[in-house]
Amino acid sequence: MIGSIFLSAALVFSLIAMVMYYLSFKGYKNTLNIARYSYHGMAIFVIAASTFLWYAILTHQYQYKYIFSYSNNSLSTGLLFSSFWGGQEGSFMLWLLLTSIIGVILQSYSSRRGDLEPRVMAVFTLATSFLLVMVSPWFKNPFEFIWTTPIFIDVKSINAQFMSLPFIQNFIFTDQQSNTTFVQMSKELYGLLTQAGVGVNQFIADGKGLNPQLLNYWMQIHPPMLFTGFSMATVPFAFALAALMKNDYRDWVNQSLPWVLAGTGILGLGIMMGGYWAYEMLGWGGYWAWDPVENSSLIPWLIGVASIHTMLVQKRSLKSTDGIGRYAKTNLILSILTYILVLYSTFLTRSGVLGDASVHSFVDPGMLVYLFLVVFIGTFILIGFGSIAYRWKYLEDKSVYEENILSRELSLFTASIILVASAIIVLVGTSAPLFGQSVDTFFYNEMHLPIAIIIGLLNGLSLLIKWKKTDTKEFIRDSIFSLVTAVILTLIVIVFGSVTNFLLVLLTFSSAFALIVNAQIAFKIVKSNLKNLGGYVSHIGIAIFILGVIGSAGYSEHVNLDLIKNKPTQAFGYEMTFTGYTPIENNTKYAFNINMKKGDKSYTVSPVMYIAEYNNSLMREPAILNLFSKDVYLAPLGYDEGSTQNTGDGETVKLEKGVKTEYKGSNISFDHFDVSAETMADMQAGKDFQMGAVLTIENGGKIEEFELFRKSVGGQIEFTDYTSAQAGIKVKLLNLTAQMIEVSITSSDGTNQQVVEKPKQEVLSVTASVKPYISLVWIGVIIMVLGFFVAVARRLKESLL
Amino acid sequence: MKNKYIFGGFIIVLFLGIMAYLFTQSNIKYESNFANVKGTDKIVKATGSWVKEKNYDMNREQNTFSFFMKDETGNEMKVIYEGAMPNNFESATSVVVTGSYRNGYFHAKDILTKCPSKYEQKTVQSSSM
Repeated sequence: MIGSIFLSAALVFSLIAMVMYYLSFKGYKNTLNIARYSYHGMAIFVIAASTFLWYAILTHQYQYKYIFSYSNNSLSTGLLFSSFWGGQEGSFMLWLLLTSIIGVILQSYSSRRGDLEPRVMAVFTLATSFLLVMVSPWFKNPFEFIWTTPIFIDVKSINAQFMSLPFIQNFIFTDQQSNTTFVQMSKELYGLLTQAGVGVNQFIADGKGLNPQLLNYWMQIHPPMLFTGFSMATVPFAFALAALMKNDYRDWVNQSLPWVLAGTGILGLGIMMGGYWAYEMLGWGGYWAWDPVENSSLIPWLIGVASIHTMLVQKRSLKSTDGIGRYAKTNLILSILTYILVLYSTFLTRSGVLGDASVHSFVDPGMLVYLFLVVFIGTFILIGFGSIAYRWKYLEDKSVYEENILSRELSLFTASIILVASAIIVLVGTSAPLFGQSVDTFFYNEMHLPIAIIIGLLNGLSLLIKWKKTDTKEFIRDSIFSLVTAVILTLIVIVFGSVTNFLLVLLTFSSAFALIVNAQIAFKIVKSNLKNLGGYVSHIGIAIFILGVIGSAGYSEHVNLDLIKNKPTQAFGYEMTFTGYTPIENNTKYAFNINMKKGDKSYTVSPVMYIAEYNNSLMREPAILNLFSKDVYLAPLGYDEGSTQNTGDGETVKLEKGVKTEYKGSNISFDHFDVSAETMADMQAGKDFQMGAVLTIENGGKIEEFELFRKSVGGQIEFTDYTSAQAGIKVKLLNLTAQMIEVSITSSDGTNQQVVEKPKQEVLSVTASVKPYISLVWIGVIIMVLGFFVAVARRLKESLL
Repeated sequence: MKNKYIFGGFIIVLFLGIMAYLFTQSNIKYESNFANVKGTDKIVKATGSWVKEKNYDMNREQNTFSFFMKDETGNEMKVIYEGAMPNNFESATSVVVTGSYRNGYFHAKDILTKCPSKYEQKTVQSSSM
């Protein structure tokens, strides 16, 4: 209740702030202070509501449906903290919280820059208002009580002492299939419990918990990072709209640039953290799968980065003109698009439209939420592009001059367009499921190969090219060193890395070229002009990143291995030996230790497998051996604890599906049941039917497949047997149940032989792969993000001028 | 201003062209009717559910995973996936497989399993207590 009151108060304050800021912009006096107080009031209530949610999670208040659904008593404090954003409601809440806090900073920032504040904040509070409606009781409210809509709760979660209450019986249901008992929680039961003086919080003793794939530290840092990036995308939109409102386009570029840089830096880091999470924990085998969720956060990032490049040109051109500067239209459109694409990303991933297309599971949030999201995006598209259309005639650059082909202006513009092209490609591919289509990942890969080549070349060239006009001779002289070095570097990669694919050679060359040009300039200015280093550092980062991608994606190899315990297996030059497993984390998981030997170096890595209670499934976590030049990646597939048993003569053996037994040198295995649809129908109709079990005998390399039947004839049950002349064995079926079969095995000639005991064989199956130079991917991203923040520091100073 | 339009226009037109071409090449349709899946040799994304009555099978030697899937009308087909059984498979309510139908089997190169929250869509039978 308290949480919803806080959020409602915040919504009221947000709306007041929006109106008051707008009135201040319109020239009303005395409204600015009300607006400021209201904004801060809103922020305080949002923070209070979030704190309350955290408090309620930490104190296990399961009367809230959200807390019941995404946490339980056994989660550690750190993970309880992150169950805040474990589901849709909470992640909207996180987005709102971060947006509100960023708004506080933005308010202080804009209040110190002329008459900027009312315009920027009026737009910004429109965004917070929409988010507040989103978490209101009508839509995705994290404070919804569990009894609001009837829900089935597993009896395990209910406090046993209350099960004896007389009225409970009417709410108990049993699912016959899974033999699970549920209590239906509804308004009616809530009423009865209240009458009996039992709080719902006491009644429900435990929650459902988090999906096991989310139970690690990445869950604590990746979503907040990503949502900070999303929240910061609101700012360039607000600045662009502020410029359009005042019809003044000279200051906004300077003022917006530090925010765009910081926002794209953080969003980039957040995206790549998701990639690292998938690589390290989820065992996808890679860091990028072109999954819709990944893609939809990449699209606004690409557009944001594109806008940085053209904003630099406008900023520069303002020095030599008193007009609006170059590429003003492009900049406004890109800034507006960045936020709209963040909203579109939310729409794709939260509205259920991608239901079948992603590994991330999406629960259909219902028609109402779907419509609200459409209205949300629609409003911002209308306001954004409507304003541009309205001001179109003022957006012409008066001081028209032709860009020289060899001018930095044109190369930055081209870079921007290339990034936009990349964004369009990802957008089209990701949106295809909306139209019942879908694209294969090679669509993205093949499209991005030429794009990455052009990015690398432009990355280098644009820095050798001067503003306005470059002397061709000078240009050739400046680039000769980098070109030659890049060619040498590429040749080294071709010879030692055996890179032969033509496009990959080109890509290697272009990113080597970019790397060298940027490193050269960075080296020159590192002493004199440290603050100007940002762009070069970022570009070095992206060049290193691309080189890492070439190695890890283009030259990754994988092989499936069956590792028999204590028996070394060779793969990728390593001698791998499975040495057994150890239970970890209070016996809930098992680490499968693999010893890897190469020369005199020896490493131990341990992939993990466990059965998660949450979804009753086998979960697997890979193990990675990190070396500088490559990662060796071991993803577990399965474990066979050596169920091969020896069978005495005439002994009864129970066999589960897929299990083997040995008898006198023959392996007898039960492969699968043979139950057809007709059998099921006959069985239900009470007719005669037979169910079969398919087995194989393997003897001296010869494999014989046979089938044993359980026949039901006129209500009598009969079992068949089978004699293998070749192996000299008779197998008789004794029983057949849903889980297993029971057979007796005898020698077909009736003689008894001594059975020799054979040791059990434990087998661990893994997919082993090598990822050459994958460390460059992470190093590249970190360097790139560092560059963004060096640039933020510089542009923040300039924004005050 | 002309250079701007030449460069920008050229890049956009070029990439839109390649994109349109590749899109038709890599375009995969969703198909929820298995009669259509069996009738074409194109790669499709078949959506349906796992037939729980017919067990799944894991072949360690060839590293394949096979199971039966049915569509909304109860049309069944056998699916063979070259790889390990996905996490969450047993609790999945619906399955999306990408691949094509050949020689009586659906050869899947990719499996997606959808697992809605445990209790929400449970069909619960009447009280037995």
